[in-house]
Amino acid sequence: MIFDATVLGRTLRVEVRGSDGHYSVNVDGETHEVSVSDVAHGFTRLRIGAHGHELGLEREGSGYRVSFPGDSLSVELAEVARGSAVPARRDHGPARLTAPMPGRIVRVLSEVGADVVAGQGLVVIEAMKMENELRAPRGGRLLELLAREGQAVEAGALLAVVA
Amino acid sequence: MSKHSFRKLLVANRGEIAVRVIRACREMGIRSVAVFSEADAEALHVRLADEALPIGPAASRESYLRIDRVLEAARTSGAEAIHPGYGFLAENAAFARACEDAGIVFVGPRSATIELMGEKTSARREAVAAGVPVVPGTLEKAAHLDQLARDAARLGYPVMLKAAAGGGGKGLRLVASPDELEAALARARSEAQGAFGDESVYLEKAIVRPRHVEIQVLADHHGHAVHLFERECSIQRRHQKLVEESPSPLVTPELRERMGALALSLVARVGYVNAGTLEFLVDAERKPYFLEMNTRLQVEHPVTEMTTGVDLVKLQIRIAQGEALPLGQADLAQHGHAIECRVYAEDPEAGFLPSPGRITALRVPGGPGVRDDSGVYEGAEVPIHYDPLISKLVAWAETREGAISRMRRAIAEYRVVGIRTTLPFFDRVLRDPGFVAGDFDTSFVATLVARADERSERPVEVAAIAATIRAFEERRRSRTRAAAPAPSAWRAAGRREAHSARIGSRG
Repeated sequence: MIFDATVLGRTLRVEVRGSDGHYSVNVDGETHEVSVSDVAHGFTRLRIGAHGHELGLEREGSGYRVSFPGDSLSVELAEVARGSAVPARRDHGPARLTAPMPGRIVRVLSEVGADVVAGQGLVVIEAMKMENELRAPRGGRLLELLAREGQAVEAGALLAVVA
Repeated sequence: MSKHSFRKLLVANRGEIAVRVIRACREMGIRSVAVFSEADAEALHVRLADEALPIGPAASRESYLRIDRVLEAARTSGAEAIHPGYGFLAENAAFARACEDAGIVFVGPRSATIELMGEKTSARREAVAAGVPVVPGTLEKAAHLDQLARDAARLGYPVMLKAAAGGGGKGLRLVASPDELEAALARARSEAQGAFGDESVYLEKAIVRPRHVEIQVLADHHGHAVHLFERECSIQRRHQKLVEESPSPLVTPELRERMGALALSLVARVGYVNAGTLEFLVDAERKPYFLEMNTRLQVEHPVTEMTTGVDLVKLQIRIAQGEALPLGQADLAQHGHAIECRVYAEDPEAGFLPSPGRITALRVPGGPGVRDDSGVYEGAEVPIHYDPLISKLVAWAETREGAISRMRRAIAEYRVVGIRTTLPFFDRVLRDPGFVAGDFDTSFVATLVARADERSERPVEVAAIAATIRAFEERRRSRTRAAAPAPSAWRAAGRREAHSARIGSRG
């Protein structure tokens, strides 16, 4: 199986073969022998050659959040068909503003149809006793504004669309 | 004040501080009573206390801030005393008075003292009367925008808008120029109203590049008071402290003695009783300015405990029992160096956004000189309703250098999966040359955040390999679900994920 794994803006092509905790993993043309074991629960132990890593893995977006001691990295995954080229990243089209965490909408700072500039505050959300201003992901017209003052929202809830 | 030992004490708080107080009670042979909201029925403080009583729905104003329900829980359980921790009702004079009226001992100062020092403008007036220098500013609450604009112009920008009932960085706004004043006032009032139920604000001149240094005091009902030296709290973000230490690398023996004497002068003037902290800003010329007094235990109290050997929570309780302070100023000395990192459920890589959720895996550091005052456990849910502080990690060593190395070692051992925490950010702080040299002020974190993380070798490939193998196994499993699944290293993990997703969607 082949995946494009995007970490910190860098996309790696990764091919995995194997089973039962033993895998042969090719990363951008270089092959690694990898063994994997689940500790009782929670942490996963990964051995790549002589190097051991103890990791936390959580589902996040299209991939996983991988946590290390003192660091954690978000890995976006896309399964790709054998032989396809590395896809170009898309930066056009409408931009969606979603709630980065569960919380309560305390203020809505714009209205549908308004012209907004990138970074302009659109919505103020409160969670854990702190107010956070959520900003326009890009400049353009505010096509949709779904956030309502006083509304409780879940993480990932769509709040606004800018195009 | 009669002197007798409490048999039972109620802890009017949650999270790590409730756990801290319950531990002190257990060591003193006092039965502990926890209270909890609907969101905290499975919380650690509820599990550790001898008894636990529900006090209402998740929203704190319907539970932890309900004076009537907390007092009812005290009466029902037969608790003779209430420890308020910090936050919630800890600096609520009406609550302290209600305890006094109900004949329940409030572990803290008298209600009149809380009122006097809790209102920041009257606290400033008391400090001036006690000969303690204060930050230039208004001694009265701001009435309206015009008055505020005139006062700000007189003091000279930048100025600081502060909640009169405030504390903990809520309702606090730095205003750099007149055109920012109106918007800053609205935000400060809104946050102050939300956090303290009082939208009053006042104005102070902003001290440029200050250090935040505070003095811990303890006073008994018999007129004895001591100070327990300083804590350095300059590593803050948006006026929320992140890292504290004692001693302060900035404070000279002369300054320490002077600030201690200033603190005791204010304590004597207001007849202060129990534990309290005087916060100061110290400018580039090492001149201290009194900011405010916190009439309660502080989050960062462990660094004082580690360097003085004094258990502040036990002494709070003994003072509340009417005992005389068992030590004098001459008995107190600082030994070694302690650092505290506040482990918040916040994502430092996403602008410190709150990160509530279930802790799916947890490993806590140990070994010499390491203390973790936590309020959570593996499998615990960090609720969205409360302050994001989940734990305080403290490292002690003979020297500051040793304490930094030990803290970095402890951070590397500390593993939290399921939510984001500020732990990775602390490693950045601790290896910063400015921090290591002791050369920093309250702008340190903002500067560090603005700089790109200079970590050169982040484990990008390992992360990609781990995530890809997991996805590979999950997809293969789902594609062959009809057939009996082969034994797989990933199955247990997959089952757990499905289980926690179910629990998560219920709430």
